[in-house]
Amino acid sequence: MSAIVCAIRGGPASQPTIWRAVRLAQETGLPLHFLYVVNLDFLSRTSSSRVHTIEEEMREMGEFILLTAQDTAAQQGVQAQGDVRHGAVGEQIIALCREVGADYVVLGAPQRRDDSDVFGADRLHRFARSITEQTGARVVIAGRTGAL
Amino acid sequence: MKAIRRGGLALVGALALWCFLRPAQAQTPPAEGALLVGQVFDTQGQPVEGAHLRLEGGGNRLLAETETQPDGSFALRLPAALPYGNPQQAPQGQVALPLWQALPPGTPLSLQVARAHFETRRMPLSGGQTAALRAGQIVQVAPIQMERRIGLAFWAALLIFSGMLGLIASGRMHNTLATLTGAALVFAVSYLGVLLLPEVYIFRFEGALRYVDWNVIFLILGMMIVIAVVERTGIFQWMAYRAYRASGGRLWVLLPILMLITGVASAFLDNVTTMLLMTPITIQIALAMGVNPLALLLPEVFASNVVGISTLIGTPTNILIGSYAGISFNDFLRNLTPGVVLAFIGLVAYSEWVYRRELHGAGRASPLLLQKLGERARITEPEHLRKAGWVGAGMLVLFVAGERIHLLPAVTALMGATALLVWIRPDIEEMIEAVDWTTLVFFITLFIVVGAIREVGVIAWLAERIGALVGSNLTAASFVILWSSALLSTVIPNIPFTAAMLPVIGYLTSAIPGADNLVLFYCLSVGAAMGGNGSLIGASANLVTSGIAERAGYPITYREFLRRGFPALLLTVGLAMLWLWLRF
Repeated sequence: MSAIVCAIRGGPASQPTIWRAVRLAQETGLPLHFLYVVNLDFLSRTSSSRVHTIEEEMREMGEFILLTAQDTAAQQGVQAQGDVRHGAVGEQIIALCREVGADYVVLGAPQRRDDSDVFGADRLHRFARSITEQTGARVVIAGRTGAL
Repeated sequence: MKAIRRGGLALVGALALWCFLRPAQAQTPPAEGALLVGQVFDTQGQPVEGAHLRLEGGGNRLLAETETQPDGSFALRLPAALPYGNPQQAPQGQVALPLWQALPPGTPLSLQVARAHFETRRMPLSGGQTAALRAGQIVQVAPIQMERRIGLAFWAALLIFSGMLGLIASGRMHNTLATLTGAALVFAVSYLGVLLLPEVYIFRFEGALRYVDWNVIFLILGMMIVIAVVERTGIFQWMAYRAYRASGGRLWVLLPILMLITGVASAFLDNVTTMLLMTPITIQIALAMGVNPLALLLPEVFASNVVGISTLIGTPTNILIGSYAGISFNDFLRNLTPGVVLAFIGLVAYSEWVYRRELHGAGRASPLLLQKLGERARITEPEHLRKAGWVGAGMLVLFVAGERIHLLPAVTALMGATALLVWIRPDIEEMIEAVDWTTLVFFITLFIVVGAIREVGVIAWLAERIGALVGSNLTAASFVILWSSALLSTVIPNIPFTAAMLPVIGYLTSAIPGADNLVLFYCLSVGAAMGGNGSLIGASANLVTSGIAERAGYPITYREFLRRGFPALLLTVGLAMLWLWLRF
C-alpha cells in the first residue's frame, strides 16, 4: 500500500499545494488523498462551548473544500480521495500517512509571516522531519523544489 | 352551700381572670413606636444602599440603628417615649421606657450616616424633631447627601477593572477567565488585603451579589436553550440555499438576501451563533459560485452587528441596557428598528459598491459543487423546527405583550425554553451541555467587577466628568455617547464597556433636562453594537467569522477588516444618529 497525502486548508494559498500533489500523482501513478482537518482552536478564546454547534458545519465545509481539490485533480485525469478529520493537524496528517502507507506527503509552504499559517517555516521543517521519522514518507513542500 | 360554692368558684375565676388581665391593664397601651424616615443620596442624586444609620443622644448613646434600602430609603424605628418628658409626671402605672430614662427632656439627638467609600456625616435633629420622636410620632428628615471618598479602594478597583479589560482586549486570556480573575482579585483585596490595609476594602460577597443582574443571566440562559434546539434543525443552511436559488445565481441579488437573513436571525438569536451557522454555508455557496467568500462574509457580519440591536434579545448589550433602564422589547422595536432599517439599507448599498467587482465579475460556477450544495440544503429536524417555530412565536407574543402585565423578558425566555424542552423531549444532558455556561459565568463575574468600580465611585467620578463636558445639552450628550461608544467599541470589548457605562448614562439621564426619554441609552445601544464593525476585535461575531474563513483558506486580516469595516461603521452610525435625532 502506498499513496500521496496532501493536507490542504482551501483558498488561493492551497492551489500550489494541490497542483504539486496532482503533478506528483501523475508522475508516480500513486493514489492521491486530500486531507482537511477540522480544528476549532479559534473558538477557545470567546466561544469554547460552541464547538458542538459548529463541528458538523465545519466537517461539511471541509468536504466541500476537498471536493474543489478533487475536481481540480479530476480535470487533470487524477482520481483523488478526500478525507475530513477532527483534531490537531499534525497528528491527523501522521495518522493518515500510517493508514494509507504514504510514500509522499505534500504540504503548503508558509505564505505569511504572522501566525495565521498552520505551520511557520521553522515549525514546518521540524514537522516534515517528524513525519519522515515516524512514517517513512518523504515530505514535499509545495512552492519549493524537490523533497525534504 | 351550693350557692356558696358556686359563688366561691365565681370569685376564684374572677380573680384568676383579673390576675391574667392585670399586667395588660397596667401597661401603657402598646405604642406603635416612633419612626425616623428619610432617604440617602450621593452627590449625583443616586440612592445610596447599605448606608449605616445610628440615632444617638446624650454622649453617643445608641438609641437605634438601621441600613438604607436599594432606593436609599431608611426607617429607624425606636420605642415610643411617654409624652410627659419627666417620668415623675406619668400617671400611676405608666413608666418611662428605659431607652429614654437616661435622656432628660431637651437632650439633643443626632443622626450619624456612615458607609464605606463615603465621608461619614453627623446631623443634629432639631428640637421639634426630637420632641416628636419622644412623643412616638413619625418624623421625616430632609434627603441626606453623602460625598464620595476617593481612597485606596478606588485605585485598587480601577486597577483590577483595567487589567481585566486589557486581558480581554489583548486576547491573552479567555474572556471568562479574565472576568473570573477580576472578581477573585476584588474579593482577595476585600477579605485578605484589608488585613494589611483596611482602606482597600471594596465590598463583601453579599454586597457583590447585589450588582449581579439576574434578569440578564436568566434571559440569556433561556435564549441559549431555545437557540440550541433551533441551530440543529438545518434552517440556516436551508435558507441560505433558498437565497441562492432565489437570486438565480446573480451575486448582486444574493448579497442583500444573505445580509437580510443574517440580520433578521441576529435580531432574535445572538450574533455569534448566527455567524457560526451562516459562515460555513456562505463559504460553500461562494466556492460553488466561484467567488471570493469574503465578498459575502464581511457584509453578512456587518449586517449581523447592525441589525442585531433592533430587538431587546438581539445582542447582549441590548439585554444589559434593557434590564438596567427598563427599556422593553416594544421600546426597542419602536425606537431603534426604523433607524436600524435605515442603517441596513445604507449598508447594503455600501457593500454592493465596495464589492462591485466580485459581485458583477464572471465567477466560474462549479456544477458539481452546486449539485452538492442542493443535496445538503435540507431541514434535518423538521418536527423540532415546527415546534420551535410555535414556541418562538409564542415567546414573541409574550415579549411584545409582556410589558402590559409586567412580565419580565427573562421569565418569558425561561418559560419558552422549558415549554420547548417539555414538548420535544430532547436528551436533557445534551441540552444542558449546549448551554454556554462559560458565557453565563462571564456575565456574573463581569457584573461583580463592574460592581466593584461602581461601589468605590469610579463610575460616579467618570459620570461627573462626562456630565461636566456635555453640560445640560442633550444633543451634545447624545453625540458624545453615540460616537465615543462606537469608536471605543472598536478596541474595547463592548459588553464590559456597556456594563460599565450604564450607571454613567443613568446619571446623565437624570441630570440632563429632556433626557428622560432614554435617548442616551439608545445612543449607547447603537454605538456599542455598530461600533463592533470598526475592527476585527470589535465584536465576537467578527472573530468567529474570521476564524472559520481562515479555516477555509480565506483569512480576514485586521487591516482588511478595518479597511472595509470602518467606513461601514461611519455610515451606519451616521444613519442611526440621523434617525435618533428625528425620533427624539
